[in-house]
Amino acid sequence: MRNIFVIAKNTLKLEVRDKILYGIVIFGMLYVFFMLFLAQLVLKELPMVRSFGLTGIYFFNAIIALFLGTTSFFKDIDRKVAYFILSKPVSRLQFLIGKFLGLCLVLLLTSAILAVAYLGVVAYENGGFDALGLLAIAMQYLEMSLFLAFAIFVSTFSSSLMSVVYTSGVFFLGHVVSQLVTDAQKMGLGGFQLFLVKVLYYIFPNLEKFDARDLAIHAVAMPWEQLGLALAYAAVYILLLLFAAIWIFERKEI
Amino acid sequence: MVDFSHLTKAYKKKVVVDDFTLSVDVPIFGFLGQNGAGKTTIMKMIVGLLAPTGGTITIDGALSSHPIFKKKLGYMPETPYFYEHMTGMEFLRFSDELFGPTRGRTPHYEGLLKKVGIFDARNAQIRTYSKGMRQRLGFAQALVNDPEYLFLDEPLDGLDPIGRREMKAVMMGLKHEGRKVFLNTHILADVEEICDEVGIIHQGKLLYAGGVKEFCAGMPLEERFTEVVEEHEKQRP
Repeated sequence: MRNIFVIAKNTLKLEVRDKILYGIVIFGMLYVFFMLFLAQLVLKELPMVRSFGLTGIYFFNAIIALFLGTTSFFKDIDRKVAYFILSKPVSRLQFLIGKFLGLCLVLLLTSAILAVAYLGVVAYENGGFDALGLLAIAMQYLEMSLFLAFAIFVSTFSSSLMSVVYTSGVFFLGHVVSQLVTDAQKMGLGGFQLFLVKVLYYIFPNLEKFDARDLAIHAVAMPWEQLGLALAYAAVYILLLLFAAIWIFERKEI
Repeated sequence: MVDFSHLTKAYKKKVVVDDFTLSVDVPIFGFLGQNGAGKTTIMKMIVGLLAPTGGTITIDGALSSHPIFKKKLGYMPETPYFYEHMTGMEFLRFSDELFGPTRGRTPHYEGLLKKVGIFDARNAQIRTYSKGMRQRLGFAQALVNDPEYLFLDEPLDGLDPIGRREMKAVMMGLKHEGRKVFLNTHILADVEEICDEVGIIHQGKLLYAGGVKEFCAGMPLEERFTEVVEEHEKQRP
């Protein structure tokens, strides 16, 4: 357990020194502050400010999660830094979980920075403390943690570039998969075609479960049961992905 | 004592370590062989980075990949890579943290960095280090847990003559402290100078194990080594 903490702490320390990450966060903050300017010129209404802000934070966090998830773990293996770590009393499980938790901490930090900027802008626009907006950002964080777990899982068997392709594909599918089933039923698809769509639905994560942005924009609270379900869904999916990643990584020749 | 018993490693049909059996119980042992002979693969199997296809490696009777044993070993990989944005001191601390609490250990890290000659660069980021400095840091991190057994893969590669002399002096010091050192090298002069015994490896097979003088039998090491390897090549079907 201690080694997981050591690796997580080290991952956080290293990633926050990465200039690319700095760049993305700075762009994210600039975007949020740009909303302030836009709000006074064009957006006028608070829901519009919330919508632009939360979507922007979501977009930048997705880029950060994609960047961290597809590079950090892969680089350690590819550049052989893992040789130092795994020759010490550290199991592959501890190494992988440590990396994942470290990246989750980095994402928590960047989400917090962007959230503070967002809350400041909303408060400045007389929106007060946007608790629902904060909840929406927390839900986005859950989604991004799942996204990170998927990227690490893919990194255990593919290159960094291919991880970006696979992870982006899953990100896209994760947002349309629930709609696909509805559309297939509306179109009257049956038999094998419907079966195929349902297979996609059950295999790929349903990322729409974490979307609380629309509710927050219109100041509607997310029902507790939906919140609990999303939490449980994320936890189960992340555990399954990490379990599969560890299974592959323990058999990998490095 | 380190025992290799019928150790084999194959990637699909390609056998890179072939039924390797050997017992080593000397302070400094050198694996000598050409590039691609299987030296690095053996070392990676010793420290648990690779799993053998067959056979076992035991150290003092316990499997070398066992987590308890890992506390007693130090390993320096060939051409070490590091976290570029860390400083040398931070990397040592991180390496040490993986063995247990590190409070009050800073003087130990400073001592190690002085020993390998990069103390002045301790607070510089590793990305600014030269190849020789990286080798030295790789050596220092292998010593961070005061290991009983050290496995060094091409430790003198990339070092200038003074650096080589210093590192060899460190290895001799470790020998006098009672530690066991295993090193992989293809530089014959180093072997002759510091190793008590050698293992000649060629295409994954052990061709000779024993004293350097006995191996040379009055011939220069380079000449004898070439002769043994060529003889083996001739005997291959």
